[in-house]
Amino acid sequence: MTAPGVSAFCVAVTLGAYLLSRVLARRYPSPLTTPVFCSTALIIAVLTPSGVGVADYEPAKRLMVLLLGPATVSLAVPLYKNRHTLLRNTLPALVGLGVGSLATLGAAVVIARLLGLPEVIRASISIKSVTTPIAVELAPIVHGNPTLTAAFVIATGMIGTMLGPWLMNRVGIHDPLSRGLALGTISHGQGTAQAVTEGELQGAAAGIAMGLAAVFTSCIAPFLVPILR
Amino acid sequence: MKTAALIAAQIAGLLLINQAGYSAVSVLHLPVPGNLLGMLFLLTLLVSGAVPLRWFESSASFLIRHLAFFFIPITVGLMGFADLFVANGAAILLTLVLSAAIGIWVAGHVAQMLGARRGKTR
Repeated sequence: MTAPGVSAFCVAVTLGAYLLSRVLARRYPSPLTTPVFCSTALIIAVLTPSGVGVADYEPAKRLMVLLLGPATVSLAVPLYKNRHTLLRNTLPALVGLGVGSLATLGAAVVIARLLGLPEVIRASISIKSVTTPIAVELAPIVHGNPTLTAAFVIATGMIGTMLGPWLMNRVGIHDPLSRGLALGTISHGQGTAQAVTEGELQGAAAGIAMGLAAVFTSCIAPFLVPILR
Repeated sequence: MKTAALIAAQIAGLLLINQAGYSAVSVLHLPVPGNLLGMLFLLTLLVSGAVPLRWFESSASFLIRHLAFFFIPITVGLMGFADLFVANGAAILLTLVLSAAIGIWVAGHVAQMLGARRGKTR
């Protein structure tokens, strides 16, 4: 195949996998049918036997992520729509998401270090609670790898969604705002989707926490990660 | 057709704001992602009332609904990291689970404590 042919093939496979995984996620809702996880597995399963490597996929990737920037900018819209929830609960919301972001970042780096994980993983894993579109841009700033960061962010979304509600029941976090806030702070978009199923206030709090935790972590990580890692 | 044209025009606007974010980061040498700054620009425009919500509402909801699509081409790059995951998979999983649990506990607990202290019932 020619290079444009390979790229067209990659785009077609990616789009096809995405559409198929959306259908799967709707029919069999589970953390394992999360579209990103499912599509990635499908695409790798098709590309590997076709002899298409990471380098061949690169031009198609650059084309497909063109709209990631505007998509990130549009996250301001839910933040704006939920501003009243934030204004009514400024102190618990801001302190909760700030301290929670610091705790999860610190814990990730320290645990990764204790377990002897290599430096590129420690840097990439530190920002795993930041929403994916911002995390992949933040990764090179903290000397991490965007692809590894994206994988860790999505895994964190799945883990928090599965573990979060159970954990909060166990430790007595029953306040709806606090529950949504914790899910959004740690598990970003996937956590927000989970919080929405608990209730409107939980969903609004999670949406705010996801956006503001990304802002907060983006501001502190470039200084904190080099010290910790 | 009209909706598609409208969304395209709105996305062009979002692209401009995104570009403004990246330009500001490069001119001011800020250590933050350009798209994050773009998001804050749009938030400022909305809060100040300089731009009405309806200018961006339909494109924002379209892009956010399909946000996951844009991550897929990035995670496909994991193909090149198979060895790394075989060697470190268990340690990575343990790090992710523990740090998520600690973060959820701290964020939820602190918010609940501060909310309760103010004697507010929600």
